[in-house]
Amino acid sequence: MAAVPAPAREGGGTRSGSAAVRRRHTLAAWMFALPFMVLFLVFMAGPVLASLTMSFTDLTSRDLRDPLAVNLVGLENYTKLLSDERFLRSAFNTAYFVVVGIPLTMGLALAVAVALNSGIDRFRTFFRVGFYTPVVTSIVAVAVVWRFLLQPDSGLLNTVLGWVGIDGPNWLQSTTWAMPSLIAMAAWRNLGTLMVIFLAGLQTIPRDLHEQAMVDGAGAWRRFRSITLPLLRPTLLFGAVLTGVGYLQFFEEPFVMTKGGPLDHTLSTAFFTYNQFGFGNYSYAAAASYLLFLAIVVLTLVQFRLLRSRT
Amino acid sequence: MTARRTIGAMLLVAALALAGCGRDEGGGDGAAEQSSAIAEGPATGEITVWAMGTEGELLPKLATEFQKENPDATVKVTAVPWDGAHDKIATAIAGRQTPDVSLIGTTWMGEFAGGGGLDPVPADLLNAGDFFEGPWNTVVVDGTPYGVPWYTETRVLYYRKDLAAKAGVQAPTTWDELKTFAKALQETGGATHGIYLQPADPGTWQTLAPFVWQAGGNMVNDPANPTEYTFDTEQWREALEFQKTFYDDKLSQATPLQPGEIESKFAKGDLGSFFSGPWHVGLVKDQGVTDDQLGLAVMPRDQTGTSFVGGGNLAVFKDAKNRDGAWKFVQWLSRPEVQQRWYDTSKDLPAAKAAWEGGTLASDPNLEVFSQQLQDAKAPPAVATWEQVASIVDGEAEKVFKGASSAADATKAIQSQAASIGLGN
Amino acid sequence: MAVDVRRGAPAPATTPAAAPAGAPAGPRRRRATWVYLVLAVGLVVMLAPFLWMVLGSFKPEAELQRVPPTWWPETPSLGNYRQLFDRLDFPRFFANSVLVAVAVTAGNLVFCSMVGYALAKLDFAGKRLLFGLVLAMLMVPGVVTFVPLFVLVSNLGLVNTYPGLILPFLVTPLGVFLMRQFISGLPDELIEAARIDGAGEWRIFSRVIVPLCGPALATLSILTFLSSWNNFLWPLVVAQSEDKYTLPVALALYSIGQNATRYGLLLAGSVVVILPVIALFVALQRYFVQGIATTGIK
Repeated sequence: MAAVPAPAREGGGTRSGSAAVRRRHTLAAWMFALPFMVLFLVFMAGPVLASLTMSFTDLTSRDLRDPLAVNLVGLENYTKLLSDERFLRSAFNTAYFVVVGIPLTMGLALAVAVALNSGIDRFRTFFRVGFYTPVVTSIVAVAVVWRFLLQPDSGLLNTVLGWVGIDGPNWLQSTTWAMPSLIAMAAWRNLGTLMVIFLAGLQTIPRDLHEQAMVDGAGAWRRFRSITLPLLRPTLLFGAVLTGVGYLQFFEEPFVMTKGGPLDHTLSTAFFTYNQFGFGNYSYAAAASYLLFLAIVVLTLVQFRLLRSRT
Repeated sequence: MTARRTIGAMLLVAALALAGCGRDEGGGDGAAEQSSAIAEGPATGEITVWAMGTEGELLPKLATEFQKENPDATVKVTAVPWDGAHDKIATAIAGRQTPDVSLIGTTWMGEFAGGGGLDPVPADLLNAGDFFEGPWNTVVVDGTPYGVPWYTETRVLYYRKDLAAKAGVQAPTTWDELKTFAKALQETGGATHGIYLQPADPGTWQTLAPFVWQAGGNMVNDPANPTEYTFDTEQWREALEFQKTFYDDKLSQATPLQPGEIESKFAKGDLGSFFSGPWHVGLVKDQGVTDDQLGLAVMPRDQTGTSFVGGGNLAVFKDAKNRDGAWKFVQWLSRPEVQQRWYDTSKDLPAAKAAWEGGTLASDPNLEVFSQQLQDAKAPPAVATWEQVASIVDGEAEKVFKGASSAADATKAIQSQAASIGLGN
Repeated sequence: MAVDVRRGAPAPATTPAAAPAGAPAGPRRRRATWVYLVLAVGLVVMLAPFLWMVLGSFKPEAELQRVPPTWWPETPSLGNYRQLFDRLDFPRFFANSVLVAVAVTAGNLVFCSMVGYALAKLDFAGKRLLFGLVLAMLMVPGVVTFVPLFVLVSNLGLVNTYPGLILPFLVTPLGVFLMRQFISGLPDELIEAARIDGAGEWRIFSRVIVPLCGPALATLSILTFLSSWNNFLWPLVVAQSEDKYTLPVALALYSIGQNATRYGLLLAGSVVVILPVIALFVALQRYFVQGIATTGIK
């Protein structure tokens, strides 16, 4: 919030007063956090530690009844992964997906949110619900329609391209075009969630700031850049992290549309991991998951740096 | 400070826990597990059963008859979705929350048995010879049977009888005839493609495997007691090259078809023939294919006419609470007359040979083809790592069919990766 | 106190902006028309699969399997819906799904906003560690903790129980992160004013902060409800008997076979399954519209 002076939280007052205030805050804060901490320690921290430990062993599904009777192999799973051709391919695919997909989805969602917020006056609910439907539509229906769209000979896209004289490729079976097709599909699908989040964030921007700027003669785009974007930073950060976490683990699109093909060009790391779990290579899959985790951490740190609130 | 100390403490605890880890390398005397016989007399107590999909829905009907014969026993069937069933069973074994009996996919046996989650079949409970050889081999892991085949399926050639008649060809009986057959269906019969052979996507190996077996090859050296994978062989290369010619000659499309497309194109006459199991009879008829149009034939021969066999097995879990009752129920389900009644209820093909000797199973001409093919059908080896190796076969085969790799390179690649994965025992 | 300043034209009495807002009416309306047009096209693209799904639920199985797919049902029938309600013990599965989703959503609304408030507005020892833990948990791929979590839950004796279905999801890192981001954007002056008035922490939280969190709570409700409602793998594995199955599990059970899928039933089921989510979305619409009491600060 640009208008607010920063050190409001310290509580002000004398030195001794602020120490007491801090203590009071600490007690209150941990009380507030208590339910979360209990649930977190039991249901999240425990399994995470267990699976992390698992990634340093050679545990497979055949060892599940007697999980302690496994060998500790240190970083062997990790080094094996880094020389596994399929894993490296999946890492590249995932990076491709994320680098293109996140800006695309966020850009589109922001445009839609702004348009619904201030660009139009009527039918807002109708549009909002409409843009959110892909998020809740069954993946079966999504797959059928998108496949119909992307069919090589009779599909909608190639038919339309044919009208302007372009001979469209076999989208989902082409090693060049399969990934872009899936990125488009993912953007289409996840737009709704981001739109909802951005709409919530747009609500917190006071209308009179815009009005003031309009009085000063600022145009729509200028107002968007100087008022909306900066104030929307916390929301944008949240949206970016959410999308980043989700996209780094993208799975459903290749699983349903291409099964990772053609020739592993749409194999994502999450899909690779899913396969490994399916084969029973639990420790190997756990190691792959934690490598993915590292990637997510790095991306999130980058996003925090870029979109940090400058207050 | 406190944060660091807490993390330090957690790591210490973890380290201590790990110190107790270690695989018992010397353990396991290698001898086949013996299973004690079950008690005499009728079954008692509650028997919990998991069955997937339609089988789960329909089994309770059959179970009431079992309960009539065993009045002190109750059978509780829980239907489980196929989608996710493998995970559900694996986690149940991990958490020791298994039922007494479960339906288990034929390719899952190696993994679950290998982990010690399944109880070996008690001696003298059943006769291996009562079942078709292919299905029986899916329950034998490391020389011991860990389950009992329940229903089975095998792949045969579906073809448009009318288009074949138009083209003046008969169902193929050899590899060469398969090619000329597909060509004729296309050129004279009017189909866009004479045949469909799955070129990519998971499951590609199921189309390729019969060709390998027909050429005289196999995935392992000795299916009854496998010690190594055998992919780098002449037969594998022959099969890969044979299948590749269909794509090169444009007899089959080189991109995979979606579910629904096969029967749709077949009904329209765009697709002349394809290989599949018994469930496709209903699917093509739904699309309007009539009895005059539908032709079924056994696999063409090279050295043999072997086909792929799959289906479902019944297994009892190590952690079962009612072991005796469970095995008695399994035994009852394997009786020929019960298998016949099961066919009438569910249309699942029986795995017991004697069940085919009466009723619709003996008289229906379409079923005759399946019955014939079941005499010569194989399954992949019941080893724990098969699914992973199969996925490698899928990937390398796709490369060969698309021209991105040669058959020789592919088989070497499959063999080296399979060897490093091992058999999992 | 939350004045809705968004309805139509800006509130005429408050600012001298009334005049300029009225002036560029021509280009504004033209731009609005363009926006409507673009949005409408986008909407068609967005809604197509949903429409196909709804139309498809009225088609018989054979027509659904046809390629290329048809739009309008050639022989519309209620067969799929009849099958859905006859074969499945629908009320039971629906009730299970509702119970679990509502409990999870309620838990998240309460607990996530509590922790979110603490992280956003209170300065305390261990704050950075806590936030770091929350973010770290957010970033761990869910699939990796699945088996250990099940083993834990079964050791706690919670397999095949409602608590087993609910507890692991009762508070999510995502929810905490969302509330923290949103609350950190709220003005500190309101809290200061309340403190000066002598209000305790809980009072500040419940009387000052929560009422301002409408949009965030609405967003959190939808995200949490949706993810719990559609959750498939966990209920599949935790439920040992059919009476604990939730809708996605039941639907998969009856429509996905070993070798073939009953698409008619699957689509009909999918339509029925998303209706509550859409209803919730529409019901919470007005919270996205709720403005914030900025005038309270001046």
